[in-house]
Formats: sequence, structure tokens, C-alpha cells
Amino acid sequence: MAYVMEGGQPGGINRPAPFDLSWQKLMMWIFIITDGLLFGGFLAAYGFGRLSVTAWPDQSEVFHIGYITAMTFILISSSVTMARAVEVSQQKDKGKVLFFLLLTIFGGLIFLGMQVYEWSSIIHEGARLNFNPWGVAQFSSYFFIITGFHGTHVLTGVIILVITAIRFKMGKSSEEGVELTGLYWHFVDLVWVFVFTLFYLI
Amino acid sequence: MADDLSTNHSRPYWRIWGVLLMLTVVMIFVDQSPMSRGLLILVLVAAMLTKAFLIGAYFMHLRFETMTLVVTVVVGLLITGALLFVVIAPDGLRALHLSAW
Repeated sequence: MAYVMEGGQPGGINRPAPFDLSWQKLMMWIFIITDGLLFGGFLAAYGFGRLSVTAWPDQSEVFHIGYITAMTFILISSSVTMARAVEVSQQKDKGKVLFFLLLTIFGGLIFLGMQVYEWSSIIHEGARLNFNPWGVAQFSSYFFIITGFHGTHVLTGVIILVITAIRFKMGKSSEEGVELTGLYWHFVDLVWVFVFTLFYLI
Repeated sequence: MADDLSTNHSRPYWRIWGVLLMLTVVMIFVDQSPMSRGLLILVLVAAMLTKAFLIGAYFMHLRFETMTLVVTVVVGLLITGALLFVVIAPDGLRALHLSAW
């Protein structure tokens, strides 16, 4: 349990810190909140774009929803393997931690590969950042910006996972390091839940 | 708290995974069913928020953290989302009416 000293003075009264977290974990939560606000801004802008035009392309004609669902399946599954990595790290099971971290990295790479394929298909059909063949210019702008930012987060997450796995194997990363990486990875999954619903389905 | 989790071996990660997948399948099914637009959006948003709750509560362990952290994260984001909606939706609808006019 983390404690603070009242008034910062030696001899002061010790009491539990408000969040009862290490500063590293608190900083990760603050980062997640601010990053959540970034995506909140993107999705709000997208909502404005949707409300301000009379027509919007039918997503099921532009995207293969089954393919997007498979991407969702991969990301959700990688979140479970990440959660398991965090769990076994607290049980000090080094081999299992590396196993689940590698599974999570694998899931992230599959997701990224699928996104690259989706992007290349859409670009091949003539979509660009400022125009597309489906009539509403904003459609492809929102698509590239929102999924692009999310994809960048996934890529960053994979890099962080690789670094965490290497450091954990070398004994340089604690179980808290794995937990912080997990928080970030679950956040990436959480954002996808919103993107999948608001952009691909509604 | 997260520190106490090491003693708990029965966290329902795979059960949550199953529920998340089931909700995703339901969303796809609902999206393709002949439902009124309003009801469709209501069902999809409800499923989306349920999935977000499950990920936040169980995968991110918010359920095991202090209430101070939960309130800071959840209420802060909810208020921001509500404010964005209140500020943006009327303007968006006005722009829609102007473009239709």
C-alpha cells in the first residue's frame, strides 16, 4: 500500500495515498485518460461529420464486416492472453509470462497485418484522405485518421510488448512492468470496441 | 487492489472473453436485422458500453482498484463524452438542416 506523509514533513502522520497506487501505475492511468480524451475528440468529430451530412456510405458495402469482426476477435483474444500474462507474472511463473506475452505479440501482429490488408484494399479501390469513390469525402478522412491512430497505438503496443518480454526474460522488468504494459494493451482493445461499433456498424 | 490479485486464481478471463465474443456476434446479427434505426443504435451502443465495462472492470482490473481511481477514470471520461455530445450534436444537426436547405 502506498503512503503519503502529511505536509511532507518528517514525523508527520502517514495515511494511505488517495489512489493507493505506485507512481508508475498512476502515471499510466493518467496517460490512458488523456489518450482516451484524444480518441474521444476523434470520435466526437466523426459524430459531427455524420450528423452534418444527409447521406453516409453503407459500411457493409465498403467493408467486409466479417473481416472486421475477425480483427475484433483477434484483438479481444490478445487481451485475454495479456491478462493471463499479468496474472502469471504475479505468480512469479517466468516461463508462462513469456509464453503469454509472445501470444499477445502474435495477436497484435496479426491484427496489424489485417489492418494493412484492409487499408491497401480501400486505397486500391480509390480512397484517399480527402476523397473516395463512395460520395462523401469525409468518410475516408475519418476512416484513415481514426483507424490509423488506433493502428499506430497497436504498433506501439507491440513494440512495448517486445521490450517488456525481453526485459522480463533478462530479469530487468518486474511484474509491475508487465501489468503496466497490460493496462496499455487493454486500453488499445477498449478503443477498438468504440471504433468498431461507431465507425463500422452504426 | 492489484497487489492482492496474485492470491486469486479464479479470475474469469476466459468467461469474459466468451461474453465479449458473444456480444460482438450479437452486434453483427442485430446490425443486419430489419430493425428501426433508433432501436438499432440503442442496442449497439448498449452492447458497446457493456463490452467497455467488462474490459475496464476485469481486464484493466478497475474492479479491484480504489473507488477514487474508478471515479477519476470513469466519471471524468463520461462527463467529457457527455459534454462533447451536448456541445457538438446541436451544431451537427444544424449543419445537416442547413445543407438540406
